[in-house]
Amino acid sequence: MDALYLMFVDPFVQMADAPDFFLQVLWEGLVSGVLYALIALGFVLIFKSSRIFNFAQGIMVVFAALTLVGLYEMGLPAWVSVGVTLLVMYGLAMCVERVVLRPLVGQPDIILFMASIGVTMFLIGFGEFVFGGENKVMITEALGIPTGAIELNPFDGFVLIEEKDLTAVIMAVLLVLGLLLFLNKTAMGRAIRALGDDPQAALSVGISLSQIWVLVWFIAGVIALATGIVWGARAGVSFALEVIAYKALPVLMLGGLESVAGAIIGGIAIGLLEKIFEIYWGQPLLGGNTETWFAFILALVVLLFRPQGLFGERIIERV
Amino acid sequence: MGLKGILKLAAATSLVCSLGVVAASAASLYVPNLTYRTGPFAATGIPIMNGQRDYVEMINARDGGVGGIELEFDECETGYNTNKGVECYEKTKGNAIVTQPWSTGITLQVLPRTNVDRIPILAPGYGFSPMSEGNTFAWAFNPPVSYWDGAYMILEYISGGDMSSLKGKEIALLHLDHPFGKEPIPLFEKMAAAHGFKFLKIPVGLKEMQNQSAQWLQIRRERPDHVIMWGWGAMNAGALTEAVKTRFPLDKMIGVWWSGSDDDLLPLGGKAKGYKSISWNAPGDYAVMKDIRKHVVDQGNSLLKSSADMDKVFYQRGVVISAILVEGIRTAQAKYGKANIGPEELRWGLENLDITAERLKEMGMDGMFAPLKTSCDNHTGHAGAWMLEWDGERFVQVSDLLKPNREVIKPLEAEKAAEYARNNAPWPGRDGLACN
Amino acid sequence: MFYRVSGQFKTSYESDMALFPIRQDAVLLGVILLAMYVVFPLFASEFTFKALLVPVMIYSLAAMGLNILTGFAGQLSLGTAGFMGVGAYACYKLTTIFPEMNVVVALLLSGCFSAMVGVAFGLPSLRIKGFYLAIATLASQFFLVWLFEKWAWLYNYNASGAIEVRTMDFFGLVVTGPTAAPVTQYYFVLVIVSLITFCMINLTRGRYGRLWKAVRDMDIAAELVGINLMRAKLSAFAVSSYVVGVAGAMLVFFWKGAAEPNLFDIPLSFQVLFIAIIGGLGSILGNFLGAILIVALPVLLNFVPGLIGVEVNSATLEHVNVMVVGALIVGFLIAEPHGLARLWALIREKLIIWPFPH
Repeated sequence: MDALYLMFVDPFVQMADAPDFFLQVLWEGLVSGVLYALIALGFVLIFKSSRIFNFAQGIMVVFAALTLVGLYEMGLPAWVSVGVTLLVMYGLAMCVERVVLRPLVGQPDIILFMASIGVTMFLIGFGEFVFGGENKVMITEALGIPTGAIELNPFDGFVLIEEKDLTAVIMAVLLVLGLLLFLNKTAMGRAIRALGDDPQAALSVGISLSQIWVLVWFIAGVIALATGIVWGARAGVSFALEVIAYKALPVLMLGGLESVAGAIIGGIAIGLLEKIFEIYWGQPLLGGNTETWFAFILALVVLLFRPQGLFGERIIERV
Repeated sequence: MGLKGILKLAAATSLVCSLGVVAASAASLYVPNLTYRTGPFAATGIPIMNGQRDYVEMINARDGGVGGIELEFDECETGYNTNKGVECYEKTKGNAIVTQPWSTGITLQVLPRTNVDRIPILAPGYGFSPMSEGNTFAWAFNPPVSYWDGAYMILEYISGGDMSSLKGKEIALLHLDHPFGKEPIPLFEKMAAAHGFKFLKIPVGLKEMQNQSAQWLQIRRERPDHVIMWGWGAMNAGALTEAVKTRFPLDKMIGVWWSGSDDDLLPLGGKAKGYKSISWNAPGDYAVMKDIRKHVVDQGNSLLKSSADMDKVFYQRGVVISAILVEGIRTAQAKYGKANIGPEELRWGLENLDITAERLKEMGMDGMFAPLKTSCDNHTGHAGAWMLEWDGERFVQVSDLLKPNREVIKPLEAEKAAEYARNNAPWPGRDGLACN
Repeated sequence: MFYRVSGQFKTSYESDMALFPIRQDAVLLGVILLAMYVVFPLFASEFTFKALLVPVMIYSLAAMGLNILTGFAGQLSLGTAGFMGVGAYACYKLTTIFPEMNVVVALLLSGCFSAMVGVAFGLPSLRIKGFYLAIATLASQFFLVWLFEKWAWLYNYNASGAIEVRTMDFFGLVVTGPTAAPVTQYYFVLVIVSLITFCMINLTRGRYGRLWKAVRDMDIAAELVGINLMRAKLSAFAVSSYVVGVAGAMLVFFWKGAAEPNLFDIPLSFQVLFIAIIGGLGSILGNFLGAILIVALPVLLNFVPGLIGVEVNSATLEHVNVMVVGALIVGFLIAEPHGLARLWALIREKLIIWPFPH
C-alpha cells in the first residue's frame, strides 16, 4: 500500500505542494530537451539525405566546441574563431565525403554506421591529440552570451532561469526556423529533400550527390557547433560531452529517423519527461540516475505501438 | 593492403611474443605510473601526473637519483579505463619495483594480483580504505590518509570538533557512482547512526558528470545542511557550476581532496568563493618547488604548459606522492644496504616509513604534508589533512591539521578487510612476510 | 599449388556439404589448433597470455554470439555488453550462493540467465526493425548497467560495488583468482571456446542456421514460406545471448578477476560489434580474425614507438592509437566491407588457382 502511494499519489502531491520547484524542473527539462533535439536534428538531416545513421554527430559537437575554444586560446578573436571553426567543419565535411562516404556508396546501412563509429574514434583521438585532453571552458563571455540569471517568483517561491539557457533555447529556435526555411525555400534545400525522398530520381534530374553530402555534413557541423557552444557553456568542454550523443538516439526512435519535426518534438518530450520521472519517481523510489535509461525504455514502449516512431515515414514492406 | 596487413600483424605478434616485456636497463630503478592524461578524468589527472614526474626528474637531476641510482620514471596511459589499466599493469610489472594504479577500479583488480606478483601498490590518498590493515593487505599502501579518514575529518570540521552538534542535521553526499565515489559511504552511514544526523546519498552517474541538473534539483528539494562532494574529473566542474547556479551556499559545500583542483574553480573565479576542499598537502612556496623549477621546469624538461601551474594544489600533490615513494625507496635502501632494491625490499620500505617533521624540513617540504609513520598494521599512516578554502583566485589553508579518530575508523577497517579476505578466499594475508 | 584441389572428388551430397570440402582446409585448421594448443603455451610469456591470447579468445566468443544474432539472423544489436554483464553477474551470484558448485557448471548455467534476459529484450524485435531495433537494444544496455549499479544484492552489498572473483579450482587445478597460472587459464578458456565454436559451426550449418539466414535475407518472405518468425528471432536472441553471457562470465572470471558495472558499458558493446563486422558478418572464422585486429592490435601498437626507438609520451601515444584504430576501421570497411573472413575467402580462391590465374 505504501509503495502504491509512493508510486501513484505522492509524486503529484509533491508537484502541487511546491509548484515553483515543479516549474524549475520543467524548465531544466526543457533546456536539456532542446539540446537533445539539436543533436537529433543533425542525425536526421544526414539520415534523410544519405541513409547514414551518423554516430559521429555527438563527437562532432565536442570537436567543434574544442576547435572553437582551442583557436580562441591561440589568440584569435572570438568571432574570428567561430568563422575558422566553421571552415574547419566544412573541411571535415569534405574529408568525410571524400575519404569515407564516396568509397562506401551503396554499401549496406550497417557498414556505413560502423564507418561513422570509426570516424567517431578518429575524431576523439585527433581532437585530444591537437587540443589536449584537459577540460576547457567555453568562451561564453567572449561570444557575448549573457551569463546572469533571471529570478521569477511565482507561487511565493522562486524559479531561476539562466540567461545562457535562455540564449540556448532562442538560438535553437532560430536555427530550426532557418533550417526549415533553407530546406523549403532554397534550391539546395529542395535538392536535399529530393535526395531523401527518392535518390534515384534525384540523381536522374541532375542533383549532385557528393555536393549535397558535403553540404549536409556541413550543416550538421554547424548544428554541432551551435550545440557545442550552448552545452559547453553549461558544462564545460571535454570529451565527457560525447555521452550526450547517446541521448539523441531515443529521441530519434521516438520522433522517427526521417522527421525534422519529430526530432524537435521528441527531443523536448524526452527532456521534460525524463527530468520529471527522475525527480519524482527515480530519486525517491529507484535510487536515482534513471536518466541514463528512461528515455530508451520510453521510446521502446512507444515503438512497440508505432514501429516507425511518432513521426517517421510509414514502413511499407514488399517481398 | 589485405594480405600484407595480415602478414605485418603476424610479424608484430611474433615479435611481441618473443620480446615479452620491454626490458629496462639494469642500472636504474623502474618506477612506472599508470597515468590518465586522456579521457573524461584527464582534467584531474594531468596536473598530478606532471607533479609526480617532475619530482622524480628533479631527484635524478639534483642528486643523481636515490642512493646513487637513477629512477626510471615511465608512464603507461590508461585513460582511467580499467581494461587498459590492467593491461598496463601486466606490461610494466616485469621490472617494476612499484605499481601506481591511479584509479580505485584498477586498484581493485590489481590488488589480488600483487600478492602473487609480489609488487607493492602505492595508492596515495585513493584506493580501498581498509588497505590500511597491513596484515590483510600486505602489499598495498595508501598513505598519507584514506577516504574514511577524509570523511571523518570533513565531519569533524563541519561539526567544529563536536560531533554531537550534527544531531538532526542533514548531510548529503554527492558522489560519483563508481567504486571511488562509493568508498566513504560505510563510514558516513556509521557516523550517521552514531551521531543522529540524516545521511543522503546523491549518486552522479559516469554519464551525467557534466549535466547534474537532476542531482542539484534534488539538493534544492531536500535542502541539506551540508553537501559533501566525492567527485573526480569532469564531475567537479559540473557540480560547482550547478551549485553556483542553484545558489547553494558554497561555504556549506566541502569536497574530498580530489575535488579541490584549481583548474575546476578558476573558471568560476569569485563566484565559487567559500568552497572548501580537504587536502593532505598544503599549497605553498616550498624549497622543493624551487629545486623543481631550477632543475626541471627551467630546463624545459617538464610537461607543464606554464610554470605558473606549479603553484596549483594538484601539481604539488603529485610532488608529495613521488616524495613519499622516494622516501620509501630510501628507507629500503638504508635497511638492506644496497642501492638497487627490488619490489620486496621496497615493500618493507613503504611499511616502515617514518617521515618526521625534521625529515620534511630536510626534504624542503616543511609543512607541505603532515609527518607520516607507517607500520605493519598501519599502511596508511593516517597523517591528517587541512581544510582549504577557495578565495576566488586560489586555495588557502583555513584550518589547523585535522586528524582522523582512529578509534572509530579502525574497527570498520578491520571488519571490511576481513570481509574482503573472506570474499576472496583463500586470501594470503601477510603470507609469512616478517613484520619488523 | 598449396591449395591444389585436383584429385579430391565429391561422390556424394554428404561429402559436398562436409565441414571441410577441401582437405587442405582441415590441415590448415589442424596446424592452427596445434599452434594454439601446443606452440603458444610453450613460448608465450605471461604478458602475452594475459594481454593478448586470453582476451582475444574471450572477445572472439562474444563476437561470435553477436554474430549469430546480427550476422546470421540479421538483427542488429548494440547491447552486447549488457548481456555479457548478465552472464558475469549470474556466474558471480551462482558461485557465491553455491560455493561448492563446479566452475564449469556455473559458467554454463550463467549463460542460461543471459539467454533469458536476451529473449525478454528480443521480444520487441518482432515489431521493430533495422536501426530502430538497434537503438531499442541500447535500452537493454543502459538499463542493465544501471541495474548492476543499483541492485546491491547482485554484488553482495560490497562496499565498492564491484564483483571480485575468489580462487576456485577445477578438480584440484586452480583456474580462477590471482594464484591461477596464466597458462592454466589459457587452456581453460581455449577448451571452452573451442567447444562452443564447434557447436556454433554446426548449429549455423543446420536447421536453425538456415532459418536465421532466411529471416536475415528478408523476414517477410521467410514468413510467407512458412517460417515461424517468432521462433526464429527469439531462438537467435537466446543462442546469441547465451554465448555472449558465457563470454562475459569468462571475461570476468578468467581474465579480469574483478569487475565494476561500467565495464559493461557501451564501449564494450561497440568493441564487440567492431570485431564482428571487421571480421565478417555471417562468419564464424571472422570473429577470430576480427578479435586479433581489434583487441590485439592496439596492444601491439603501444610497442611500436619503443621498437623503432622513438620516445613518445604515453598520452600522445594513446591519442595516436585511438586515431589509428578509428582510421583502420574505416580503411578496412572500404577495402573489404564484408570483413576479414571474405578477405580470407578471396585469398583462398586465389591460392587454389595459383600459379595459373585465368
